Amino acid sequence: MTPETAVVQALNGISFGALLFILAAGLSLIFGMMDVVNLAHGAFYMLGAYITLTVVQRTGQFWLALVLAPLLIGALGLVIEPLLLRRLRGRHLDQVLLTIGVSLVIADLVGLTWGREIRSIPFPAGLDHAITILGGDYPVYRLFVIAFGGLLAVVLAVVHRRTRVGALIRAGVDDAPMLAALGVDIDRLFATTFAVGAALAGLAGVIAAPVFGIYPGMDVDYLIYSLVVVVVGGLGTLSGAVAGSALIGPADTFGKVLVPQFALALIFAVMALVLLLRPTGLLGRIRIAR
Amino acid sequence: MDENKDAARRAYRLTRRRFLAASSAAALAACAPAATPGPGGASVVPTATPGPPLKIGMLLPFTKVYAELGNSMQRATKLYLKQKGEALANRPVTVVYEDEANDPVVGAQKTQKFIDSDRVDLMMGIVATPIAYAVRNAIDSAKLIFIETNAGGNALTRTTTNCTPSCKSKYIFRTSFSSYQISYPIGEYFATQMGVKEVFTFVADYGFGNESAADFTSGFTKGGGKITGSLKAPLGSADFLPYVTQIKAQNTKDIYSFFSGTDAINYIKAWTQLGMPAAGYKMNGAGFLTEQDVLKEVKDQANGATTSLFWAVTLDNAENKAFVDAYQKEYTMLPDVFAVQAWDGMQAVDLALQAVKGDTNNKDAFIAALENVKFKSPRGDFEFDKETHNPIQDIYIREVKVQSGQAVNTIVGKVARVTDPGK
Repeated sequence: MTPETAVVQALNGISFGALLFILAAGLSLIFGMMDVVNLAHGAFYMLGAYITLTVVQRTGQFWLALVLAPLLIGALGLVIEPLLLRRLRGRHLDQVLLTIGVSLVIADLVGLTWGREIRSIPFPAGLDHAITILGGDYPVYRLFVIAFGGLLAVVLAVVHRRTRVGALIRAGVDDAPMLAALGVDIDRLFATTFAVGAALAGLAGVIAAPVFGIYPGMDVDYLIYSLVVVVVGGLGTLSGAVAGSALIGPADTFGKVLVPQFALALIFAVMALVLLLRPTGLLGRIRIAR
Repeated sequence: MDENKDAARRAYRLTRRRFLAASSAAALAACAPAATPGPGGASVVPTATPGPPLKIGMLLPFTKVYAELGNSMQRATKLYLKQKGEALANRPVTVVYEDEANDPVVGAQKTQKFIDSDRVDLMMGIVATPIAYAVRNAIDSAKLIFIETNAGGNALTRTTTNCTPSCKSKYIFRTSFSSYQISYPIGEYFATQMGVKEVFTFVADYGFGNESAADFTSGFTKGGGKITGSLKAPLGSADFLPYVTQIKAQNTKDIYSFFSGTDAINYIKAWTQLGMPAAGYKMNGAGFLTEQDVLKEVKDQANGATTSLFWAVTLDNAENKAFVDAYQKEYTMLPDVFAVQAWDGMQAVDLALQAVKGDTNNKDAFIAALENVKFKSPRGDFEFDKETHNPIQDIYIREVKVQSGQAVNTIVGKVARVTDPGK
């Protein structure tokens, strides 16, 4: 591999990692707060992509979809949490099973609404061209994905560390019952967290739609990626999601070109290795058994 | 060892069931009047009364990534039956549709259901090659006639060592293609007709993609060409940019690929994004790379790609025009190649049934009738190779061109009467 190719591949890996971060951040947030591995996360991601398809077909406005899809899916999360998950609070395994049910229902409704053809949308105007990097073309959209992922990480970090909501989330992650005893409306906090997590999945769906296509089964494909990222990075922490995607994105890309016959297995090998050396993930904290 | 035991048990169960069925049929026959005299004892012309119902088990994907292929084949089947008044050779037809969910285990269960509880007269369908391979033995030992309407794995209609991964069966026919047929001829054509000297291959890393690369390679090298390198991507590779970056880092300009569906779309988009056409690279492949499902999403981005397949929606013959018109009128959409494969499956069954006057109980006669069917298909002349039960068909070399704003496959060449070597 020439140095030029290596740099371009590194960009490919970072942009894939940035997308994985957007996808995994919501999963990590929900787990950290509610102790629920939300297996409907892939379905929210899928829904985001299909809403983008409709918005782009009707209005041609990708940027409208970027605002609208997370809002709609966030609203859906705001309904699902009190309606379904809250009834099973404290019963973690039952909650996980419930999210599988939700994901199946969403995936089937998507099939009924949008059909089961494979779809694709064009790159948004202004980001559909290439610029020259090291003498070769490189797609601007991938650079946008990197910038967007980086920006989102900064925004989430600021909210997490510097705002009242962030303080509540950190407190909730540490000890939700104590937070409730201190008079914080924990129901509202959980519903909001779930909604924000779902909205982030939807956002990832919008960003990914022009690159990775829109098709039945995409929910499961990307749920697996997001699970690998949060497990490698450390469950339930924002920095874990950053670390996980920063490792898995480039690992997947360089795995594909250097050891193509192990491309699919490589990220799982990385996951196994990380778990052997650090069972809590790269930046995971040791959780107190409850 | 357990598998053998299971197979033996299954065979035993079938024999017992057969025996019961046969003996009860005999009992019924004994009770029934010897002939069916008309009113007043005069004999009647038999064509007026419908024969016994014909039950077809259709195993297709209706969920997961190949769902639309299943839908398309179901549409073609329904259209054919509608045109024939829901009856073939005077037998009213019921079709039992089952979802194989792109899963060999599910496929095997549904096949067993067709055999044991639905007791279908014949079976059709199956999109993915691994599922076809997984049910091959069950179909063969149940002596169930099966028309494969998509899966193109070579081994399904070939003689192979120890029947691994699969092998031909006298009960299995195929109305689609073998991967040899859509990969070998274009290889030879490239070397001998188009004067291409060097090709780099990039295919999906699974059974069918590997077969396609191997068959293309042997056709191309036989014609005097040289393969300069190869790359493989796992099925469902989300991100194709890393692969296309690698392709761009080498110097062979002609690339041969096998991808379909979402993978094909993602590949073509990554190809355009990296400016491959401007850099002088040319995309080529087996036909599914640029079939309608892909073209209508990537539009002009596949412009200039050369692929090979046994059909194109623009193919100029009377049968194709009639088929495309009827399909468009019924469903307000263009048919795809999967619809053609199912359509021809129904045509072959229809003609063979007529030849045996609707009798499916005499399997050998029905198989012989299928082996002898010849008809004009939307793809051109269609017949089965008696040795393999795979079709003998013309392979078209097609180039994607944008005509009045629409990307279509235009025919630029033809390799006549291609048949699978069978081993």
